Amino acid sequence: MAKNDPKRPGPRSPRAEEGDRRERISGRTLGLIISAAILFAVLALISQSFISGYTMFVVSRQMAFYVLVALSQAFCLVVGQMNLAVGAIGSITTIVLGLGLETWGLPAWLAVILALGVGFLAGALNGMLITRLKIDSFIVTLSMMFIFMGLRSGISGGSPYKVPESFSFIGQKTLFGVPYVFLLVVLLLGLVGYMFRNTIFGRRLLATGGNAAAARLSGIATDRMVVWAHVLSGAFAALAAVLWASKLGSAAPETGDDWLIISFAVAIIGGTGLSGGVISALGIFMGSAIFMLIKHGLVEVKANPYYANSFLGLLILLAIVVDRVRELYSDKQKGK
Amino acid sequence: MLELKGLSKSFPGVRALDDVSLSFEPGEIHALVGENGAGKSTLIKLITGIYQPDRGEVFFNGRRLGFRSYRDSLAQGIDIVSQEIQVIPESTIAENIMLDKMVTRRRTGIIDWAAVNRRARSYLDMVGLPLAPDTVIKRLSAAQKQLVQIAKALAADARVLLLDEPTSSLTEHEAGNLFGILRGLRDKGVTIVYVSHKFEEVFALCDKVSVLRDGRFVGTKRIDDLTQAGLVKMMIGRDVTETHLGRLDAEGGREMLRAEHVVRKDKVEDVSFAVRAGEILGFYGLVGAGRTELARVLIGEDSLDAGTIFVRGEKARIRNVADSLERYGIGYVTENRKEEGLLLQSAVSTNITITVWPRIVNRLTRAISRSKEVAITRGLIEGLSIRATGPNQKTEDLSGGNQQKVCISKWLAAECDILIIDEPTVGVDIGAKEQIHQLIWDLAKTRRKAIVLISSDMPEIIRIASRILVFRDRRVAGEISGVDDGTRTYAEVSAAIGTYLN
Repeated sequence: MAKNDPKRPGPRSPRAEEGDRRERISGRTLGLIISAAILFAVLALISQSFISGYTMFVVSRQMAFYVLVALSQAFCLVVGQMNLAVGAIGSITTIVLGLGLETWGLPAWLAVILALGVGFLAGALNGMLITRLKIDSFIVTLSMMFIFMGLRSGISGGSPYKVPESFSFIGQKTLFGVPYVFLLVVLLLGLVGYMFRNTIFGRRLLATGGNAAAARLSGIATDRMVVWAHVLSGAFAALAAVLWASKLGSAAPETGDDWLIISFAVAIIGGTGLSGGVISALGIFMGSAIFMLIKHGLVEVKANPYYANSFLGLLILLAIVVDRVRELYSDKQKGK
Repeated sequence: MLELKGLSKSFPGVRALDDVSLSFEPGEIHALVGENGAGKSTLIKLITGIYQPDRGEVFFNGRRLGFRSYRDSLAQGIDIVSQEIQVIPESTIAENIMLDKMVTRRRTGIIDWAAVNRRARSYLDMVGLPLAPDTVIKRLSAAQKQLVQIAKALAADARVLLLDEPTSSLTEHEAGNLFGILRGLRDKGVTIVYVSHKFEEVFALCDKVSVLRDGRFVGTKRIDDLTQAGLVKMMIGRDVTETHLGRLDAEGGREMLRAEHVVRKDKVEDVSFAVRAGEILGFYGLVGAGRTELARVLIGEDSLDAGTIFVRGEKARIRNVADSLERYGIGYVTENRKEEGLLLQSAVSTNITITVWPRIVNRLTRAISRSKEVAITRGLIEGLSIRATGPNQKTEDLSGGNQQKVCISKWLAAECDILIIDEPTVGVDIGAKEQIHQLIWDLAKTRRKAIVLISSDMPEIIRIASRILVFRDRRVAGEISGVDDGTRTYAEVSAAIGTYLN
């Protein structure tokens, strides 16, 4: 072999020399951490009130929602698909929660289980349609988005549902000054990271997204993995919706309207591969921090809020361009 | 005349071409051979302007060419026919051939389709493709697409035609047709550069052969002055033997896999066979003859329309690959490792242990044991002499031969004792090819695996199989047993295969 291989670039690159060691934090994630730190420092400098308990409370809680919404998208991205219905699943979940709490007068725990169940089922339905009928995830979730949005408007008539005072506990209270929502999300993110790194289920999701044919021909039930990815996606969208209602103190039908773009923005900035097989829990956390800090920064510098969407779009594009440039550069290094 | 003078090209860490000087005369078919990574593709990309040389120059009829892109090269009548530069699948044949020279009605800029199709027709006649010019490309077979590419080159009035592995997806008959067309072009004074690693073709078709090794030019010889062994020696720098690897004693082996009258609609018709432990059963035939199609049925990837499969003597019901792996211990090494065999972006360890994750998981934490993963991977890296920097190296960065070993390894990790290995040495260097042959043979001989070897490479299958089934038109056309007993020469066995093929 030695005779034939001296031209092979792989073993020569310094990173590959360390082929035995597993990287804990990728260069990309490190870049995110540095960017977030810089943003944080800049904000602390330009704003007197930034490092105050109240701002930190608001920022960390909002970040937590971004993480949940991004995870909902990332589960689909990781198997090489997408979910355009993240926000719509969130809104239909909110409606069911509102119906349960106000109209049917169910106990809070039962209404929550019901609402989460709806998210779960919506995801399962997406996954089944995609795998059983072999329809593209784009079309399936696009249709579902409109179906759910129509249902939510039709059922609610546009007005919010009341939720009991006690229900707002988790969304509004803190533990030693840290919002419960934030703690819960950090815990979940840790579990998700562990799942993808260490468990069979997570590794199979990654393999399915990395190369579905190879995964299937290695004995992985890839269709089942795709369904599970959509189920998780639906469940996380539903969880975000329930927590959002708890935060607001009411079940508002417009919940989820801006999630689609946020879900892609945070997932992409966080380094989730668009073609599947790549995800980083820490990356998503940092992605949501950067996203939050930029949004907060725009308010601080009194940017015209009417332009907010343009900033969002630019941010997504920038994240993709940076990744693409890195990719092209490393291909060049390898002489492809 | 196309002349290359002192061409060098480096990529960071890799010297792809080193001071290569070579010339191609008009009216000759000139083979360019060398192992993978020898620099053939780089050379072609330099000629056609896809890459720019670091040093050196290209002259065409005495004029220096300074191509900055593929378009420049086309404008000079130098065209390339390869798997990579493809035709547009949704367009018609005529649109592809006439892409940059559409005939328009006077001044209006409206395309005169009748004229376009008429001209396309004349080029199709030249390459002997009896199809209507308005046929959509995606309906065409690989061979027909290749001919369309050549027709397109003719339409561009190409005086130099570079062909990169043109027969890799063609049947023998189609390849024969292509050769006829290329000879015709040669006789009209076209310079043809033919990149291939199939020796039969080089000797049957080409007038001259130039050899590259490790990015350097080894030499140019007239084909009449060269033997196959001589050419191999030029390519790898030493001698290679062509004899059978040795007798496999499978007679006493347990029957591991048996198929009876297996049918898969339109793919496999009434195929029966059995393979024993310690035996290598070769499936020889052309692409589409039903071999891979049968393999996919055996592993449960495609469903069985009729017939019965027995594993270790018992009737088996294999519903999917997970079944074939976990319940029956059958492993399938796919024919195209990049598309269906590997997670290229993942670590070597992931690709090797993907089949055994459930066996190395910690009951309590549900975590895959990292230490067991590394240990299994290390064991196979050493056992199969896989050249990798370690279990965490990205699989994409391995050479073709080493990637192939990783594909085989995952089934060894799972301790499968029935292996179906599909075209294991396509796109693999000669040196690595020998190692893989030895490996497959050893798996049968010393580890008593029952192996089905699917191959379209006749020397390969005659060299390592103990018995050969010849597939033709979705059926088994004949069987040759005792290939490994040393009583018949290579020529006799290949003649026997030939009689079943025709």
